[in-house]
Amino acid sequence: MDNTMNQEKKAPEKKAPETQREKLQRPGTRRLVQLYAALLYNANLKGFIDGHIYSGNLKSVCVPGFNCYSCPGAVASCPLGSLQNALTAAGHTAPWYVLGILTLFGVMLGRTICGWICPLGLIQELLHKIPTPKIRKSHITRKLSYLKYVFLAVFVIAIPLIYGIGKGMILPGFCKYICPAGTLEGAVGLLQNPANATSFYQLGEVFTRKWVIMLVIGLACVFCYRSFCRFICPLGAIYGFFNRFALAGVKVNPDRCNSCGLCVMNCKMDIRHVGDRECISCGKCIDTCAQGAISLKCGKITLKGPETGKNADPEPVIQKRKKIGRIAWGIAIAVLVFAVCWFNLIEPAIENANEPAAAAVATEQAAGTEQATGAEQSAGTDQAANTDQATGTDQATDAEQSAGTDQAAGENQAANTDQATGENQAANTDQAADETGSSEPKTGPEAKESGTPAAAANLPVGSEIGNLLPDFSTDLLGEGDFKLSDHRGQVVILNFWGTTCAPCIAELPDFEKLKVAYPDVEILAIHARAGAKKAKAFLEDKGWDHLDFATDSKEKGIMKLLNVSEALPSTIVLNPQGVVTYHAQAPLSYEKLEALFKAALADN
Amino acid sequence: MGVTCLTRKETFLIVQSLLCALVTGLLTVSALCLYFDGAAKQAEGDLFYYMYTRERVGARLLPILPLLFCSFGMTVAGLILGIRDDQADKPVRDEKLLRNQGMIREKAVHQVATQSELYLRVAVIALAVFLIVAGILNGGLEDVLAKGATICTECVGLG
Repeated sequence: MDNTMNQEKKAPEKKAPETQREKLQRPGTRRLVQLYAALLYNANLKGFIDGHIYSGNLKSVCVPGFNCYSCPGAVASCPLGSLQNALTAAGHTAPWYVLGILTLFGVMLGRTICGWICPLGLIQELLHKIPTPKIRKSHITRKLSYLKYVFLAVFVIAIPLIYGIGKGMILPGFCKYICPAGTLEGAVGLLQNPANATSFYQLGEVFTRKWVIMLVIGLACVFCYRSFCRFICPLGAIYGFFNRFALAGVKVNPDRCNSCGLCVMNCKMDIRHVGDRECISCGKCIDTCAQGAISLKCGKITLKGPETGKNADPEPVIQKRKKIGRIAWGIAIAVLVFAVCWFNLIEPAIENANEPAAAAVATEQAAGTEQATGAEQSAGTDQAANTDQATGTDQATDAEQSAGTDQAAGENQAANTDQATGENQAANTDQAADETGSSEPKTGPEAKESGTPAAAANLPVGSEIGNLLPDFSTDLLGEGDFKLSDHRGQVVILNFWGTTCAPCIAELPDFEKLKVAYPDVEILAIHARAGAKKAKAFLEDKGWDHLDFATDSKEKGIMKLLNVSEALPSTIVLNPQGVVTYHAQAPLSYEKLEALFKAALADN
Repeated sequence: MGVTCLTRKETFLIVQSLLCALVTGLLTVSALCLYFDGAAKQAEGDLFYYMYTRERVGARLLPILPLLFCSFGMTVAGLILGIRDDQADKPVRDEKLLRNQGMIREKAVHQVATQSELYLRVAVIALAVFLIVAGILNGGLEDVLAKGATICTECVGLG
């Protein structure tokens, strides 16, 4: 009797078995893997702080999942963006590399990538956690799932190919018109940083359209499970082709399967059977299968198998699997820690140690200017403006300088730009624009102040508006050399472009037109990250004969020296004294270019 | 007579969905307003008028923030209290979908790849490796690097 009572008392202390619903609600291994992958893809955490993207050599590798390479944290490239880029260039370089990478990912992992290591999949699933009534799958969603093949055929393949080969234009259709990852990770990721304040100036129709598309897709994901993944994602469509014979994925034991259909009915994706092109191998069906017929496998290795029920794996097997899992997690965490340390601490330190030659020249120049400035200051001349710029304290000085340079540039930009921070911030641009109410180039004593050679010599060296741009030299694709200081007395326009950047290619004819109309202007178009051979091959039949072309590389370090953003196109306009009158990342029309040129000339 | 009162849970879910839709709608309208205002100014001939600036975006976002926080708070509350659409986790028994059950009975799925599939897998892996090597040799790798190391403003939606 006592024993029975004791047993009754002890009974409530036993942990109640986890219900199916509780099991489904707790964050499982898959969620942790998704988080892990998102972190690993975006291990360049300092990018979120300094507002710059990672531009190291690892960017030549693609990650398997959907992750925009313009995200400040991204350490590798997006496979879909790379595919479109490769297809636009298919006329002169066959896209073997990207096709090979996609094939390799597909045959190794299939759509397991979507379910386990795609950051966009994680975002969609988190949005779906918002408690609202949900739209369940049906024959309609099943039909809609074919839509992603249309997106793949039209936006990823046809548009880049037709425009790239047929018209010589770079047009990554999916990136430009749809991709919500680009908007969220790339655009919003960059814009949220005050260092990229000037990036706001180029926002227009493209951003508005993509912003709205992103919001609509986000809202759809709240109500409908993985809406983007199921109906739109071309990357999922590509990986789906490999699902049937991919090395990793959910597999069914035909001897145990009684074809009850529970797996299909419980699955939130539009599958017809487990492991088909729609299956993302999330493994939920493993828990729902009463027969224990389903398991997640990689080749012959079982990653997750039935742990309860009549066909459950034996306890020693489960324990062994768990033990291997713990070791795998240990290794994975070590890799993540190493990646974070490498991208945020070690690699930047190595880069700083190997300072590019161009930067060294600039340091010397800066030192020279500082000395001159210091001497004049000690002589009692009024150099408060320069001192304040260097220390970043006097806002009034900024306003004065802006009046003399920015407004003279005819664009009302950065009236209160904090030049001291060196970040091209233009927090009060609009107010300035509204106050002046005109974009007419300004003249007068204030505008002239920085234009006189004496004043220019005293300006701080830098790339912000009102600064004296650091001197540098580079070769002109084997056709002579360019030295910035040799062009004092001329308005100089430096344009940073890339063969992979559509707006860059679109605006270069306007630079050519300007050079033809005003032969006195010196225009140097610098290709970011490319070899001279590649740039030459591209320029061969373009007919931009009046422009000077050069290339930049990590070793040359021109963009780093001039503090040019990775965002292309970027343009710097210098007045005849070599003082920066315009510096922004935005495509320019001929009218804008002409206005900038005239303003810089008037600044003489 | 067929009229049913909404339970607290259903009310919560409906309010939350309305909030989500409202926030999305307001964010959309804000962006469109900024765009059309800017387009009008530019049409007037102001070449250097910027549609979006931090200040303008901030001013537009500020009134939406309370709604956003409210929606976020409700989401957290819903998750803590376990409020969710129970129907979402129930097996789907859509008639037209069930007709597809025949597909399941065909046992089209498989645990172990057939011999031909194994060969196919090996062949595709070999092809992939060959393509990658060919791509490295023809400069495809540098193309990916050149694209990845810079920001294509048009691609990410900046301009």
